[in-house]
Amino acid sequence: MDEEPNLPAWLAPVAATGFAVAILAIVTFSVLAKVSAAEERLLKPEPENKPKVAVAAQAEVAYCTPQFKEVLERVLHSCGLAEGNQRRGCKPADVKTFASISDEDFNALFTPLKERGGVLRFDVGSHELDAAAKQLLEQRWFDRKGARYFFVVARASKTGTPLKNRQLSHRRANSVMFHLNEVAKDPELEKKVGLLWLGNEFAQLSEDYCQWPNSRPGEKCGEEPINRSAFVSWVDCRL
Amino acid sequence: MYSPYSALLKEEYWGGIPISLFALGAFTFFAGFACYLLILGGRASRGALAFFATVSSSPLLVSAGMFVISVTQLGTICKTCAGIYTASLLLAIGGVWTYLAGRRHSDQDGGGALLPLVWLACLAVVTLIPAVAYAASMPDHTKHLADCGTLAQPIEKHDALVKMRTQLSRQPATLFEDPLCPTCKAFHERLVAEGIFDKLDVQLALFPLDNSCNWMLDRPLHPGACTVSKAVLCAGPEARRVMEWAYEEQAYLLRAGKAGEPTLREVIRQRWGHDMLACIDKNETTVRLNNHLHFAAENSVPVSTPQVYLGKRRICDEDTDIGLRFTLKKLAPELL
Repeated sequence: MDEEPNLPAWLAPVAATGFAVAILAIVTFSVLAKVSAAEERLLKPEPENKPKVAVAAQAEVAYCTPQFKEVLERVLHSCGLAEGNQRRGCKPADVKTFASISDEDFNALFTPLKERGGVLRFDVGSHELDAAAKQLLEQRWFDRKGARYFFVVARASKTGTPLKNRQLSHRRANSVMFHLNEVAKDPELEKKVGLLWLGNEFAQLSEDYCQWPNSRPGEKCGEEPINRSAFVSWVDCRL
Repeated sequence: MYSPYSALLKEEYWGGIPISLFALGAFTFFAGFACYLLILGGRASRGALAFFATVSSSPLLVSAGMFVISVTQLGTICKTCAGIYTASLLLAIGGVWTYLAGRRHSDQDGGGALLPLVWLACLAVVTLIPAVAYAASMPDHTKHLADCGTLAQPIEKHDALVKMRTQLSRQPATLFEDPLCPTCKAFHERLVAEGIFDKLDVQLALFPLDNSCNWMLDRPLHPGACTVSKAVLCAGPEARRVMEWAYEEQAYLLRAGKAGEPTLREVIRQRWGHDMLACIDKNETTVRLNNHLHFAAENSVPVSTPQVYLGKRRICDEDTDIGLRFTLKKLAPELL
């Protein structure tokens, strides 16, 4: 049997206690250091450590140029939507004033909405929406996604007196609004829809717009028929 | 991974006191006692050997309990836990082996009954020291609980949100959830398991992270989430049932969503019938879900799920996880 070394009796407990205290000190110091570092991060979060989380917002797409937004904002304010007050719609004289841009530039602003929007066509002198127009209108309305505002730009005819055209254009804009009221059942509708009715004195459409999605794709189209219409579209811009 | 068993005193301290700190302290004691026996060698008393053999098995008993919980309740084993289980096993084997090997050489009984009691007290003190140091040095989180924003417009103007009120509801809460989001599932299950969900007067805003309806994403994080969200809306007063079904079948629904819309619709039809699909296809349902998303946009909430608002106050993401019980104790103690 091996001989045990003759160590003093106090050595084992003292050495073991010292060893345990040393480990305990390291463990405790490590815990304190980690808590302290966590506190530092809590009090002074470094920007690069903060996860970048996107914030929910309405849609904003490429065509929302400053110029487009400027016109949009003017339309919304002039038509009384932004503040949600009683005034509804903009008559041609208003449009000429607040848009402050030429007919071509005004129409060009809506060019990016070609696929998003649709042209609801009317019979001569009529403000009644036919079945196809209603269907296209509903299709466009229910495809809202992230848009905040729905635009309705009604037109009458390139010929005839300005007053008659203005009244017809107004009735067409209202027909769209009435139908939306029926199908949308949305108490906030008034705050979403911007109505414009144009007479033949401003921003008439050229024949090129016959290529846009419209409610009578099979029918003969030209400058006169395409202006007997209401253009409708959600606008994916934030203000 | 969130485990309700990972810490103690969660309502008193943010995140609680991790139980691994107690293990650190205990293992420190065992290292010291092993050192003591090593130096003594054959002169170690039988009492010391027996004490070591006895108490060195205690971590193994605790580990066995935690292992069962990990496997049966959590379905997974964390790396730190696996390390502690292994160390506990080795320690228990070492304790028994030391006793068996040492008692043949030991001829000393010394120490009497008092010494093991002193050692036991030392074990208790050393076990507690890291945890006490942790608790004493923790920063006060209370003042940070209100740092994560508020709901600017808590009422949805079209009354589109899903209401989940129970007889026990006492705290208004707005939840933004995606039925195919795994974190939402874990969070919901935790709220239900801890008896918190039924005490909430929930208005649920569905926030599917799927770009087929959610314009805020450029790709689908959870394909099919829009369709499943519509199913929740179509369930009317049974919305919670459909939501919980979606959580239970989440992995399956996610696979179906990735396979394509027809596959997902077939899964929904099999469980909820043709009427559900007809409702999903209605314009009204599309508009209602769209109103949920616009509600999120109007309140500028982060594009992530789940999100919890107690009343108007947003609970920070980390406070919905390990800090939940502490946060609720401070902000809505009636829920606990």
